[in-house]
Amino acid sequence: MLGQYLPVVALLVLAALFAALSFVASRLLAPRRPHDRKLAPYECGIIPSRETPERFPVRFYLVAMIFIVFDIEIIFFYPWAVAHRGIGLFGLVAVLIFSVAVFESFVYLIGNGALEWGPIAEVRQAVSRRFGSEVVRPGVRQVGLEGRDAGNPTIEGGP
Amino acid sequence: MVIAADPLLLGPIGLEVFLIILIKVVASFVLLMVSVMLMVWFERKLISDMQNRIGPDVAGPWGILQTLADGIKLFFKEDLIPENADRPVFKLAPYLSLVPAFLVFAIVPIGGDFRTGDGTVGWFGHRTFLQVADPPMGILLFLALSSVAVYGVMLAGWSSGSKYPLLGSVRASAQMISYEAALGLAIATVFLTGGSLSTHEIVSSQSNWNWNVATTGVVPFLIFLVAGTAELNRPPFDLVEAEQELVGGFHTEYSSIRFALFFLAEFMNVITMSAIAVTLFLGGPDGPILVEQVAWIWPILWFSLKLLAFLFSFVWLRATLPRIRYDQLMDLGWKVLIPLALGWFLLIAALNVGRDRGWSPVPVVLVSVAVLWAGAAMLGGAVRKARAERRAIELGSDEVLDAGDGA
Repeated sequence: MLGQYLPVVALLVLAALFAALSFVASRLLAPRRPHDRKLAPYECGIIPSRETPERFPVRFYLVAMIFIVFDIEIIFFYPWAVAHRGIGLFGLVAVLIFSVAVFESFVYLIGNGALEWGPIAEVRQAVSRRFGSEVVRPGVRQVGLEGRDAGNPTIEGGP
Repeated sequence: MVIAADPLLLGPIGLEVFLIILIKVVASFVLLMVSVMLMVWFERKLISDMQNRIGPDVAGPWGILQTLADGIKLFFKEDLIPENADRPVFKLAPYLSLVPAFLVFAIVPIGGDFRTGDGTVGWFGHRTFLQVADPPMGILLFLALSSVAVYGVMLAGWSSGSKYPLLGSVRASAQMISYEAALGLAIATVFLTGGSLSTHEIVSSQSNWNWNVATTGVVPFLIFLVAGTAELNRPPFDLVEAEQELVGGFHTEYSSIRFALFFLAEFMNVITMSAIAVTLFLGGPDGPILVEQVAWIWPILWFSLKLLAFLFSFVWLRATLPRIRYDQLMDLGWKVLIPLALGWFLLIAALNVGRDRGWSPVPVVLVSVAVLWAGAAMLGGAVRKARAERRAIELGSDEVLDAGDGA
């Protein structure tokens, strides 16, 4: 049966070859004029003043963890779905018990706020009540000169 | 149960068979590249029509060669690797994105007569399917490859050593894996009627208008469409590269040909996802044969038309809908699509088993709906409880802040 995968492997080789040859062509054709400004991380023209944060909200990790559990559970459904006509009532009852277990843990997760995102309406209003008068003119004034060249506010090549 | 397999590859694999494989592989490669080229042009042209603009019209007739021109231009652009980048991973990521995009198309049957025949065509004295490969676990291959594509996006953003790509890739990964669960459950419903994981078998079970979109009751099809759009990071789910907040998302730091490969992979994924949707729900190449003399061309034509309908609606969605918020995205995926897909899957399964055992469908449906309603009520209660708790906590902390101000 593994012979059935032979064309997939052939297509994989072809696709990888295409990508590799594109890189070779680009290396031959493209100019190479490296410059500090070009190699710096993109920051809308400002010199980065802080390192890229290495921590981000724990919710993303939670989603990843919950996904792993759920994906495995979904894969368990596949063989049963293909053969469910043959197994009949016994299989259906078994899968229902399994689904109840899955669903119960799902409801538990949601009930504990594992998949709660974003601000809620009341809090947003409360915040805008408190800070509404202060945030009058957002823009350059608040960005300030942090990270810009002192004495040379325009970036090279500017007017 | 017969395990589906391409008859071409069952016998010994000699030179002739190998050449047929080569022809198929090269043909599908060229087909994909050309259709991506046309798809990019089609999207730009259609969007400009919808927005009352002209769009690309210089390169070739109606600007049809615009994509080619852009591609050639990108070869001549400087290839930059930012100094903070993790170089090996930064170079690896475009491959991880592009190669799976190519491979998914291998399992899509694009033609073959499934109504009167068994979907095979005769080439040089060999019987074969009009698809590159028909592995017995075809759909699992599709899911596996779309999981690998998540690595491409994740690693591209992480290895750039920059803020926007990192944020974009973290968002993208969370979004793609969230909707993959709903996608997987919607596909599982197709197995209930198709009875196989092989795309060829799924298509042949749908021949003669017996399309899965009807036999599975429309809901899985809609879930597949929404989850598929989110999986592709297409609007209205394009939070991954929300320009206003994330510049370009995970490929902000990529330039030149590396960017081109990501772009290629993105549009290729749009085409293959549409092709998979046609295969799973719309009968693949199934359709009436109108002129007997050129019978072979009709399945291919029907397949292309169905594909085009999907591609058109992807562009239409982009022109019509505003981007949704991240919490709305996560709520839609986890709290609506996944429970709905699970419930519908069990409902169809219960109906199937009930029909086999000779039960009357009415009590089966009534009991199932009661059970599903109870599940939905439990879920709704859990959502309300979580919201109420969070509101209490956040409002509480706000009051503390206010008290601090007053002192």
